[in-house]
Amino acid sequence: MKSPAIEVHDLTVAYRAKPVLWDIDFSIPEGEMVGIVGPNGAGKSTLMKAILGLVPISSGWVQIRGEPISKDRSSTLGYVPQRESVDWDFPVTVLDVVLMGTYGRLGWFRRPRKAEREWAQDCLEGLGISDLASRQISELSGGQQQRVFLARALAQDSEIYLMDEPFAGVDAATEEAIVALLKKLRARGRTVMVIHHDLQTVENYFDRVLLINLRLVAAGPTREVFTRENLLFTYGGRLTVLDEAAEAVRLAHGNAGNLKRHPDAGS
Amino acid sequence: MPGLDYNTLVVLVGTVALGIAAGVTGSLALLRRRSLLADALAHATLPGVCLAYLWTGERSLPVLLCGALLSGLLGVVIVSWLPRVTRIRTDAAIGLVLGVFFGIGIALSGHIQRTVTDASQAGLDSLLLGRTAGMLFNDTVAIGVASLAVIGVVFFLRKEFLISCFDPGFGEVEGWPVLALDLLQLFLLAVTVVLALPAVGVVLTAAMLVIPAVSARLWVDRFGILMILAAIIGGATGGLGTLLSARFESLPAGPVIVLVSSSLFIISLLCAPRRGVIARALRSRSRTLNRETRRLLALLLEAKSRGKNTVPHSHLLGRERSVRRRSLDSAIARGWVQLDGDGISLTEGGHQRALRGRRALQLWHAYLEDAASIDRDLVDLDEEQIEKILPAEKVLELERLLSSRTEGGDG
Repeated sequence: MKSPAIEVHDLTVAYRAKPVLWDIDFSIPEGEMVGIVGPNGAGKSTLMKAILGLVPISSGWVQIRGEPISKDRSSTLGYVPQRESVDWDFPVTVLDVVLMGTYGRLGWFRRPRKAEREWAQDCLEGLGISDLASRQISELSGGQQQRVFLARALAQDSEIYLMDEPFAGVDAATEEAIVALLKKLRARGRTVMVIHHDLQTVENYFDRVLLINLRLVAAGPTREVFTRENLLFTYGGRLTVLDEAAEAVRLAHGNAGNLKRHPDAGS
Repeated sequence: MPGLDYNTLVVLVGTVALGIAAGVTGSLALLRRRSLLADALAHATLPGVCLAYLWTGERSLPVLLCGALLSGLLGVVIVSWLPRVTRIRTDAAIGLVLGVFFGIGIALSGHIQRTVTDASQAGLDSLLLGRTAGMLFNDTVAIGVASLAVIGVVFFLRKEFLISCFDPGFGEVEGWPVLALDLLQLFLLAVTVVLALPAVGVVLTAAMLVIPAVSARLWVDRFGILMILAAIIGGATGGLGTLLSARFESLPAGPVIVLVSSSLFIISLLCAPRRGVIARALRSRSRTLNRETRRLLALLLEAKSRGKNTVPHSHLLGRERSVRRRSLDSAIARGWVQLDGDGISLTEGGHQRALRGRRALQLWHAYLEDAASIDRDLVDLDEEQIEKILPAEKVLELERLLSSRTEGGDG
């Protein structure tokens, strides 16, 4: 039997004495597009970092394709961190950043050569920003920064991608480019896990959702799990969010084909 | 060069090598936001120097520098450890370590001065402010070789250092031992600080690391080139400072080296092409001018649509809709506006330009209304930028939208 892409069992993560995630338990089959949804401070990023092995796990375990996380995860795991996590005034060009996606494969001391450069250029092409290759990263707009990060993840050429809020604060054109990329990755059988904030688009983008608020509220296929009741549990009593959630569910189940923000690609 | 004897030459080679190493590790420290840590590190070396002297009773430079390295590293460990176990933040921890270690060092060196008669020759006071002239041949060779080793490590690990500086989380996912690389980088910084002690002294060592890197950063935008330029600046200012100090014996090397590199920094700050103060001021001036010229054209177009082809000078320059003289001159120079007796009017080209600007602005507003969320970096654009950003099919779509909304609009 094929092992799942990601399996998380009884995971608890604590910072100092305070647990920020507890008893998280789910598994994700290969080739699925998964959204992680939950309020601010619910531990979504921490969960992603725990899967990547970036934060210590207090108890439980994480397996990637049936194996514990190894030191050399570059070929299996691709990562798109939050845009704000780096200094965008750093003295590198767009191509330099994308080339970092090839460092894992290159190994110690070896420098990126022509083959890597061409590959990085292809990855930029995949996000429609090949003309920005020699641009200094401080000159990019927010949406362009996000596309550069995605191109770098693409350059990693991984089986499983974890993306921390790729849609946060980007323009509509970038959102479309990212959605197109996600579809392309799914078509190639890659597994993608995305932290997502916009409840309105969840139903459209993801096959499967994890609803998280310090613990796992629900996990499963979007149709079954993304319900008003579950969202109520996830977001607690916050009214404004609730209205938004209700609206999202109504839209998703009512007239899903008619969403303003998601014009069909290729038109 | 007259007066350049063998001894000076030896010292010169040492300080140039040191300057290069300081430029390289200083750049890494700058990018890793550790410039202030370098200062704390330098000050934290002093007790180590004194204790090494008291313990061994030897005045040999390598022994003193080993003591310096150990206490400097202890200082760094405390700086990174305090914020993790207490509520003390990093900046406070740096200030704390700097002050406490330096204070202990000064007290110890005072004690040595009182008890040991030849303390002035023990090389302790020269480590406070630096005195290259006191360096022996062997010391200089050791400093030079160690500097080259530091440069070599950074050269071979530049790709690894780049990823651990820019995005450590991503580097770790790729399988790099980010923490070990970071510690190695810190160790290289500590070694460079210690090597710089005999030349520039405890107090000014940080300047030797920080100033070349900051100056170079003003000129260049690439990681590798930044380190090369900082190395060149560090080497050149180190060498020049040493020569000046050798020529005028009353001047200690440390302050002279720092003064030379500071002058270069001030020149860089003013004249650097993109990040320099002058370039920035010019850029902001031309942005303002463009915006105002755009506004002038819009005002004239609006007047024209109300049948007033010529607008009196006083009206535009008056209080009500004040247009700056500068933008008027610029519009005339670009052939968009002409003087018309007492007033001004749009030329044919200016009319076209104004129409184009208005159209682009309308399109842009329609686009923003239509788009789900706004990229905050994409505001305040002129017509050329807007036309470049919007794809052709989007423009057609928006134009259809606009013309259905405003019947009988122009264009």
